Amino acid sequence: MTSFRRLPQGGRIDRARPISARLGGKPLPGFAGDTLASALLANDRLLIGRSFKYHRPRGIVAAGIEEPNALFTLGEGAATEPNVAATMVDLVDGLVARAQNAWPSPDFDLMAVNSLLAPLFQSGFYYKTFMGPSKGSWMFYEPFIRKAAGLGRATALPDPDRYDMCYAFCDVLVVGSGPAGLAAALTAARSGARVVLAEQDTDFGGSLLSCNDAEQEAWRLACINELKSLPNAEAFTRTTVQGLYDGNLAVLVQNRSHLFPSAQKGEARMLLTQLRARTIVMATGAIERPLVFSNNDRPGVLLASALRTYVNRYAVAPDKRAVLVTNNDTAYQAALDLAAAGVAVTVADHRSNVSADILTRAGAQGIAIFPGSGIVDVEGAKTVKAVKLGGPHAVTVECDAVGMAGGWSPVVHLSSHGGIKPKYDEAVAGFVPGGFPGSHFGAGAMMGTFGLSAAIAEGSNAGASAASHAGFGKTRPAYAPEHATDRTYAILPTWAPTQGAKGKAFVDFQSDVTIRDVKVAHQEGYRSVEHLKRYTTLGMGTDQGKTSNINALALMAEYRGITIPEAGTTTFRPPYAPLTMGAIAGRTRGSHFRPVRRSPLNDWHVKNGATFIDAGLWKRAWFYAWAGATPETAYVKEMELVRRGVGLADVSTLGKIDIQGPDAAEFLNRVYVNGFARLPVGKVRYGVMLYDDGIVLDDGATARITENQFYMTTTTAQAGEVMSWLEYLLQMQWPELNVQVASLTDEWAGMAVSGPRARAALELAFPEADLSDAALPHMGCRDFVFGGVTVRLLRMSFSGELAFEVHVAADYAISLWEHILKAAAPTGIKPYGLEALASLRIEKGHVAGLELDHRNTLDDLGLGKMAGKDKDYVGKALRFREDCQAPDRWSLVGLELMEPDKKLRGGSILFAASDEIKGHGRGYITSVTWSTELNKFIALGLYKGGLKHEGEEIIAAFPLKNEQARLKIVSPHFIDREGARLHA
Amino acid sequence: MLERRSALASARPYAGAALRIAERPGFTLTQVAGLSPDFEAKLSDVVGALPETVARAQVNGDRALFRIGPAQFWIIGPETDDAAARLHGQCAVTPLTSSRVRIALEGAPARAVLAKLMPVDWDASVFTPGTVALTGLHHTPVTVHCTAGNAFDIYVMRTFSLDVWEAVTDAALEFAGHRTNADT
Repeated sequence: MTSFRRLPQGGRIDRARPISARLGGKPLPGFAGDTLASALLANDRLLIGRSFKYHRPRGIVAAGIEEPNALFTLGEGAATEPNVAATMVDLVDGLVARAQNAWPSPDFDLMAVNSLLAPLFQSGFYYKTFMGPSKGSWMFYEPFIRKAAGLGRATALPDPDRYDMCYAFCDVLVVGSGPAGLAAALTAARSGARVVLAEQDTDFGGSLLSCNDAEQEAWRLACINELKSLPNAEAFTRTTVQGLYDGNLAVLVQNRSHLFPSAQKGEARMLLTQLRARTIVMATGAIERPLVFSNNDRPGVLLASALRTYVNRYAVAPDKRAVLVTNNDTAYQAALDLAAAGVAVTVADHRSNVSADILTRAGAQGIAIFPGSGIVDVEGAKTVKAVKLGGPHAVTVECDAVGMAGGWSPVVHLSSHGGIKPKYDEAVAGFVPGGFPGSHFGAGAMMGTFGLSAAIAEGSNAGASAASHAGFGKTRPAYAPEHATDRTYAILPTWAPTQGAKGKAFVDFQSDVTIRDVKVAHQEGYRSVEHLKRYTTLGMGTDQGKTSNINALALMAEYRGITIPEAGTTTFRPPYAPLTMGAIAGRTRGSHFRPVRRSPLNDWHVKNGATFIDAGLWKRAWFYAWAGATPETAYVKEMELVRRGVGLADVSTLGKIDIQGPDAAEFLNRVYVNGFARLPVGKVRYGVMLYDDGIVLDDGATARITENQFYMTTTTAQAGEVMSWLEYLLQMQWPELNVQVASLTDEWAGMAVSGPRARAALELAFPEADLSDAALPHMGCRDFVFGGVTVRLLRMSFSGELAFEVHVAADYAISLWEHILKAAAPTGIKPYGLEALASLRIEKGHVAGLELDHRNTLDDLGLGKMAGKDKDYVGKALRFREDCQAPDRWSLVGLELMEPDKKLRGGSILFAASDEIKGHGRGYITSVTWSTELNKFIALGLYKGGLKHEGEEIIAAFPLKNEQARLKIVSPHFIDREGARLHA
Repeated sequence: MLERRSALASARPYAGAALRIAERPGFTLTQVAGLSPDFEAKLSDVVGALPETVARAQVNGDRALFRIGPAQFWIIGPETDDAAARLHGQCAVTPLTSSRVRIALEGAPARAVLAKLMPVDWDASVFTPGTVALTGLHHTPVTVHCTAGNAFDIYVMRTFSLDVWEAVTDAALEFAGHRTNADT
């Protein structure tokens, strides 16, 4: 028995272009212009899936984005995309689709046994049943429940498609290209304003695409052609406005899946656009509501407007007979068009009085009308066989399809995204926008204006207003077609089903929510619409309740004895329609996920066997192949190189700041806790700066280049923060200081030459420079020209050895680095990496980022004595607050491992020997290394009371690996406390 | 002599029929900042007219000037430029030539590519020749200068430049006729 058929002529399909897609491994023929849904109906495939919870047979309900049932999984393998509405999928050659949530097939689904248990599965069933017997039971049951009830399954494979994004701007954004949208866009564009028209469908026209009126079609085409001819207008199909945000930011997503784009050629499957519009016209239309009656979910029960779309746009019609059930006039458009296509139509009209005009026109087409009637029940399981009518005409009518016309719900989602709640309009029997910001306008069905000529006039006005708001005054309105009339609506709101049957009456098809579930929610106290939604899952599917919300909240209002406006609506949030995650990620995936920062010496490191490690955004040379294949062995060798010979390390990542001006010295004197006002030219000083709350911000060395110019270095981690801090202080706190700052981090490369033979190495590299201790003492600096380029030499040490930092303009860094290695080769100089660099400083007891963690004071770090007593500096006042001076604060200590057969781990929790090993302890290890000098593991840590406990034995615990080790608290300066080496 | 090396020396070249993306080296970048009330007059004496707003460049001969902040300018000069030397002592002068890499985009699709990267209105009626934008690209600060109809210079932080190059050429992939190296 055939239920639906392809009409021999008509529709917007291209019969000259046959298409062969595949569904469940079998061919699915159709034509260009078909959707997957229309092809299914044309092939009389009514049963297309199983419902979410009860696994009831389901068919297509709608023809647009609101489709609740016809969800398919598209593609194969890595390109699998689940839960795609068949109504939104172009039928194209190569399309592969399969049904979901049914096994082995929708036609014979073993999980349909759920339907027999349906009485158990009312709302709240899962929450009530699977919470026991123990506290964590839900976690045990949840995977099984999800497996049994659910949607499609996403692939875990990397998505092979490309997703792109862009930014765009316009004067007027028009959302929706129905009659109102076309009129708005054209009127706005005629003013000269830059107009963007976004249409989610595959063609422009909205409801006009479902009509068969030649004059309206001519008007549609004329509008489109004129828009396309205007250089200031852009119009996009397959483009859904997913959300509106502050500042008139609209997020548009265009779906290009039908083109099977090639990622290798840079073609995107989806394009996400962040569009900033001066004004926005919403012409988003309306969605028809179903009516609630027994077995209203049977395959073959569609929205009346969908039947009209299928017959006019896709030339697909019920085989012989259709029954439409309505509470308003708009169903008769579908009835007349179906009748014109040769379908015998019966209309059950909830209203007792139907207008004479409709009766006349329907009668002329042989349409039978039963006023005051509704559908009591639908007969048939996998297809519709007949309907039982109630009311004064209690008859059974055999039919192939049922059309539901329960009224129209304006699409108010976008107008609500900004936080303006929609308001209920009695005449519309639906919610309309509750208002608009000054730059937003609405037109057409979304405003409750359902007539064609009225919608066009409203759209034209909105377009003109929007253009004017954007600064474009003069325009020429778009007028309606000459014979366009305004259809009547005359709705008699109907929410409860016609009594007389016991079948399930569905409110939300996708979430399997019946009228009984709404009643149960009411009985159990979940009466707010927000509670109703969460208790029953109503409106929580991929369709977000586009067809179900109004019916449900109207029913709840009825049970509560309040009005619909009093019941209110749930909150509309972006995205408007389901969105592939890839579209959100765009190009920011893989290596493009976040920016990578590279030293000016990066290419040399790559070429010469460095292994890299991420340090913030930086790629840093961790260790080099010459020293070993693993960090555990390599860094020890590199440390030995520096302690016994000379090594070369890339320190270009340090922050570097140029500070100039007559007040530069005073500025630094305020920023650092120690004195800088009298730092001589040619000298470098170590400094520490605090935030104004008295907590340490950063440390570093600053050189005085000239009387009014300083060269500041910061830690790698805090470079950006220090630069911002200095700019803030100059602009907001001390605008009277005549100082300018500029970041030099990218301008200058830095390389540390460290070790007992450092001077010898540099003397070979720069034979003309006097590097003697007298000429360049510890903490001295000097600029000189080498190889035509200024080189800045700073004698300071991070390792504790005799050391220099050589700074040079980044463009010349590799050339200078190679020169030093080559010229100083007789000294045995080799590169050393970040691991050795960091380990050497632990031995010396220098604090770094792991200790400067924005929680510690100067005294915590043992630096309190540095602070000037007679000068002011940022953070001085709050540094002395009671808590910062508490004697039991966690303070810096050195730690030595006392058990040679064990190892230490960073982050280990520290306990006193007598403590129970439990909780947060008395501190933790911040930095740890193997000491080549002491031949044991050593560490820096923060410990309650700090060095007051020097000499005590404590415990380091690492619970993740169930390890414990005995340590001794010692001075954090493990080597050369007198500084003999660095003064060599 | 020490040799200069481009931060993009290891970058994969981009080749497109309608779009050219390439490093445009050979410039001197000097940042100057005021330390006296007559700073702009002094600056103008040396480099000529100054840009009136942050959004516009002033091109004087072979120099382009950008106003990058209050009393702060960039002077983009030729590879050898005496502007810094002539301004020495009259304001804060900071050489920044090594700190930036100049990436040039030229061709009809240039605006479409830029629109994929930065939240700026690139419409030809808005971002006209001479327009400057201080904005963000791939999470890093950049300065973009429209030098001609569909020609743009992007000044990128050196240490991010290779990554920004890859972001730009990836955004332009659909306009690439072919890659000169094998795609990865």
